[in-house]
Amino acid sequence: METLNLSIDGKEVKAKQGSTVLAAALDNEIYIPSLCFHPHLSATGGCRLCVVEIEGYKDYVPSCTISATDSMVVRTSTPQLLQLRREALNPILSQHPCACLMCWRQKKCGPDDICLRNVAVTDRCVTCPRNYNCELQQVVCHVNKNDVKIEYSYRNLPIDDSNPFFARDLNRCILCGRCSRVCNEIRGIGAVNVYNWGGDSLNGPFGSKPIFDTNCISCGACVSSCPVGALYFKDSPKAETETKTTCTYCGVGCGLVLGTRENKVINVYPDKESEVNKGYLCVKGHFAIKEMVHHPDRLTVPLINCGGQFSPVNLDEALNIVASRLRNYRSDEVAVISSSKCTNEDNYVAQKFARVVLGTNNVDNCARL
Amino acid sequence: MVSTQTRSVSTRKAQVCRGPGCELGKSAYIMEALKHEVERLGIKDMVVDYVGCHGFCQQGPIIDISPEGIFYTHVTVDDVAEIASSHLKDNKPVERLFYRDPATGKAIPYYKDIPFYSRQKRIVLRNCGHINPERIEDYLAVGGYQALKKALTSMSPDEVIAEIKKSGLRGRGGAGFPTGLKWELCRKSPGNEKCMICNADEGDPGAFMDRSILEGDPHAVLEGIVIAGYAIGAHEGYIYVRAEYPLAVKRFKLAMEAALAKGYLGKNIFGTDFSFTMDLREGAGAFVCGEETALMASIEGKRGVSRAKPPFPAQSGLWGKPTTINNVKTCAFVPPIIANGADWFSEIGVEKSKGTAIFALTGKVANCGLVEVPMGTPLSEIIFEIGGGVPGGKKLKAVQTGGPSGGCIPVNHLETPVDYESLTALGSIMGSGGMVVMDEDDCMVDVARYFLSFTQDESCGKCVMCRLGTLQLYVMLQDITSGRASMDDLELISDLAGAVKAGSLCGLGQTAPNPVLTTLKYFRNEYEAHIKRHRCFAAVCKGLVIAPCRHTCPAGIDVPKYVRFIESGKFGEAAATIREKIPFPFVCGLVCVHPCESKCRRGQLDEPIAIRALKRIAAEKDDGLWKENNKIMPSTGKKAAVIGSGPAGLTVGYYLAKKGHSVTIFEALPEPGGMMRYGIPEYRLPRKVLSREIQEIANAGVEIKTETKVESLDMLQKEGYEAIFIAAGSHKGAKLGIPGEEDSKVLEGVDFLRDLNLGKAIDIGEKVGIIGGGNVAIDAARAALRLGAKNVSIIYRRSRSEMPASSEEIEEAESEGVQFLFLTAPSVITKVNGKVNLEFLRMALGKRDASGRPRPEPVKGSEYSVELDTVIAAIGQTSDIPPGFDLKLNRNGTIEVDPDTLETSRKGAFAGGDVVSGPASVIEAIATGRLAASSIDRYLGGTGDMEEILAPPETELKPREVEEGDKGRPHMGLKTVKERIGSFVQVEEGYTPEQAVEEAGRCLRCDLED
Repeated sequence: METLNLSIDGKEVKAKQGSTVLAAALDNEIYIPSLCFHPHLSATGGCRLCVVEIEGYKDYVPSCTISATDSMVVRTSTPQLLQLRREALNPILSQHPCACLMCWRQKKCGPDDICLRNVAVTDRCVTCPRNYNCELQQVVCHVNKNDVKIEYSYRNLPIDDSNPFFARDLNRCILCGRCSRVCNEIRGIGAVNVYNWGGDSLNGPFGSKPIFDTNCISCGACVSSCPVGALYFKDSPKAETETKTTCTYCGVGCGLVLGTRENKVINVYPDKESEVNKGYLCVKGHFAIKEMVHHPDRLTVPLINCGGQFSPVNLDEALNIVASRLRNYRSDEVAVISSSKCTNEDNYVAQKFARVVLGTNNVDNCARL
Repeated sequence: MVSTQTRSVSTRKAQVCRGPGCELGKSAYIMEALKHEVERLGIKDMVVDYVGCHGFCQQGPIIDISPEGIFYTHVTVDDVAEIASSHLKDNKPVERLFYRDPATGKAIPYYKDIPFYSRQKRIVLRNCGHINPERIEDYLAVGGYQALKKALTSMSPDEVIAEIKKSGLRGRGGAGFPTGLKWELCRKSPGNEKCMICNADEGDPGAFMDRSILEGDPHAVLEGIVIAGYAIGAHEGYIYVRAEYPLAVKRFKLAMEAALAKGYLGKNIFGTDFSFTMDLREGAGAFVCGEETALMASIEGKRGVSRAKPPFPAQSGLWGKPTTINNVKTCAFVPPIIANGADWFSEIGVEKSKGTAIFALTGKVANCGLVEVPMGTPLSEIIFEIGGGVPGGKKLKAVQTGGPSGGCIPVNHLETPVDYESLTALGSIMGSGGMVVMDEDDCMVDVARYFLSFTQDESCGKCVMCRLGTLQLYVMLQDITSGRASMDDLELISDLAGAVKAGSLCGLGQTAPNPVLTTLKYFRNEYEAHIKRHRCFAAVCKGLVIAPCRHTCPAGIDVPKYVRFIESGKFGEAAATIREKIPFPFVCGLVCVHPCESKCRRGQLDEPIAIRALKRIAAEKDDGLWKENNKIMPSTGKKAAVIGSGPAGLTVGYYLAKKGHSVTIFEALPEPGGMMRYGIPEYRLPRKVLSREIQEIANAGVEIKTETKVESLDMLQKEGYEAIFIAAGSHKGAKLGIPGEEDSKVLEGVDFLRDLNLGKAIDIGEKVGIIGGGNVAIDAARAALRLGAKNVSIIYRRSRSEMPASSEEIEEAESEGVQFLFLTAPSVITKVNGKVNLEFLRMALGKRDASGRPRPEPVKGSEYSVELDTVIAAIGQTSDIPPGFDLKLNRNGTIEVDPDTLETSRKGAFAGGDVVSGPASVIEAIATGRLAASSIDRYLGGTGDMEEILAPPETELKPREVEEGDKGRPHMGLKTVKERIGSFVQVEEGYTPEQAVEEAGRCLRCDLED
């Protein structure tokens, strides 16, 4: 593949053919702030924070939409651009709670502290589920925005908590459009879109229906893509340790991060580095694992039915019992059911065993996803 | 219907306009009625047909009779019979339906003579109003589709592009990108399939050019699209029309069908191997879909939002194919350019902008409609020559071009030629072609707020700057118009507006702040008045204005309240209400310039309430009720001096005395009153009225020392006066600056009036010439008549409509026999045989100056002279401030003060009235006097609160149901001219109590509305 040579902020960098200016900068460790950009999604150029100056262009251009070309000269942080970014944050912060952003105590307060400035609970960062994990906070910090010029007013939009796993508080929404793009472009569902017009534009189901009444599959991809706390998981306490593992729900092998506390799984996140799922999960992997793992009815050892009573046995014993009993039946009197929680290889072996060793074609699997 | 085959050259035609405006005036019925009448009367060789919009919608419904070219306006169904019998049958045109010139009132029968049309150059609009848009034969008869034939059969696509490039045609959608270059980029763009789109999503409020073209001449647009398609190598074309234009949709669809049937669309057009299909898409009403990327998204069936460019449509447009998007007007320009050649087109217009520009001229202008003029035509020509100027004698304030994203151009830029570069330089844009004329009754802050409310509503919501930036701008402007803003907000607005302009994704956001930025640049004083003083000059901002009359009154008198008192016959209460704000009710009732009346809501129905006359009767019938509540505070022991006993000085003295300060007024002349006594002649203001009101001021404890001229402020301060108010007025006449003016028979207007009022004997002779056009000139002329002059003329260098004197005064002077010599300026004064020989130059009105008025320019060789006994120069006054005052002065000789406190450069010295503002009115002087009193009271340790309640509260407070009446003012009695000449008897007799009650009953009580 051809490489492009371009200059960003006076630094000679290389970029892949077809990459955008923003991608080229980020690949070369030059940070350009952005809120609506997401590497998996189409670029819209809507947040106006990633604007740069490119020689030969008379206007400022968003670096996320413009393709890098050979010997392009890009400037990402001229005083005018820094000023423009600060100005662009003004209107955003007029509709997004920002009281804590400009407060000197922002790193000291917790969600339960009494605010000395008497800021409404809805206007605080510390009560937001994305506090310290918020891209808007990063951007505000980066562009060194330290004043709020336009008064913030709470929009008083209803919170949609119809979905059992996540809630949507559009009062915090900055309309980056990532949720609707992920739902349309990655998931192909289209449960979330932009609706209304102008300043009244909102992200959500058409006609502002509750999300649960739409074709939403509750995969949580929108929540993961949200840069701020507008979309958040309902039950996600802070974990002590995080463990990377593979989802056992099916044979795809999605990467998971299990957050645990006191040896209990308390939340599950998709593994963004996993080559299999690249940071996305289905509803089972995302929201059912912690319930399944610690469920009292979960089978953890083999059980033998002796006269109507199930009693636990160890695995060798169980295998011996099954093996001894199998001899009493003709091959077509036996059926084999394997589990979708097993790997493909296990399932392959199971059906091979059924057909070759047992000589039966009665094979099935519980996979009904 | 008479079929086209039976038409002959000699056939007469009656063409009824069926554009949308005329259609609303029932032109369909008019046409049917006319057809019926023609048939009934058996008129032969007469075709009654309909045509598209004439562009003169204000005059609709329109009927045009050819070959005579008679143009009937405002036709109703009832007029049809008369037109048919009188004109069509007996050849006697119906004069009452002719167009009337708004300036002269003269009837103009012929289409070609109407200035609205005769000054235009119609290229795109050439067929609008002249052919039946629904019949392709009509278009063919005027050379239709010949350009297409020429292009397809004798030119290669590259030659077509070269021709368009050579013509210099630029996109008429607003941005002005060279059309030929656009086509070339698209043609050269890689890809086999290309698209041609015509943008007919015209959404600017008040703009209807595209609509009229599509409705009046759809085939021309279609022909242009096909030629463009041929040039760029496209085989499919789209036109995107707003669904709100059903007639345009219908007529364009008909045009497409007819063209397809005739083979101008479809396969192998004109036998060549070029094929082209056409599709019409209706927009769903989003303004942003006029932006090309949003338009394409909408055609593709997506949400109509714009996207970032590049890639440009010429690289990747509709369905990813290289696409050219041209405005309706651009497309319509193509056929004439191909047919007549590029050189023909490039000769029209100016260097960088070729051809003609089309505007939808609306707003406060006499002739509204579609105007097509060569590029480079000055704005003033469009507004005044074609548009007929601002109706109702109001003053032009600004012109807004380019729709909601354009800017407001103030009057001092009226000579700007309309072309892309010039308008951009002023901060506005050419845009699609809206042109809204605004007059003194339009508030520029409110205008900016309105346009922002539109753009923030129509923002697609994709990018932050446009979605929230315009919303925040709108919110802040709303704060200003309702008096909740601070001066810091102005800074914030201009910063944010600049950021929205620089940082928005598409053209909508990039231009949306233009109305704010331009009004802030050119009308910053209005913004500041809204914020600092809660004043809206046009009295329209609802959050600030309770009633426009009260708001416009410089002193803020509660006009509606005292009008209601008069209506219920309570004259004493009415006078007390007036006295709450001014100490001169009677004087103002006689001589006030009444700015309140010009803004009266009733004036929009018929005639404004006669507020001044009502004030007069309230003062006449005043029973002294106000004295019951009048309070004079105990003495503070502080001393204040007032220099000058004019309205400003007396007002300051009165209010300071009421606050308990000891006030001395120093007056140089023998009696107090200032210009009220020594400027205004007695026939307007009887001296006993003045003396009575000054006596009330003296009664409040003010000491007035007459014939005492103050030369130094230090002296006063040494004498213990802690605060000094300077209200010395402007009593020095301005010099003419021509040879010979030092002659003893050349008087100055103010000197003449002063001497007259001092009782000096003045011999002015029989022939008197007065130079100037202001109120002093009129007063001097009328006074001269009363002194026995037989022949009095006023010599003014501009024309009557530019005269600064009030129109009532001009009319009265005229009725008394004063003659007016307009467009005449004196050049030399010589003395011949003891008489003054005044030599003149004729003037012609030229380009407009910074005030928006045409500048008089001398006509060479037009000198002539007149012999006069006396010449009175009344061309303005200046102040004469003794050097001993040691004050900082402005360049024009007035005293420099802080506009909020009226404090001068010297501590403890304040100034107000004419000495600060230059020659102004009594009411303005009183208003500054009140402000100064408040400021001085604060300086002397008081609260500065001048509010007082003298009138009892009202009992009945109900808004009046608006009746659709045209009941004017009662007629006020005036002395006959015979009675007036030779004496200084008061001219106006005033209303009788019955008349006053009746007049007060006309008040709409708009202050009580929610």
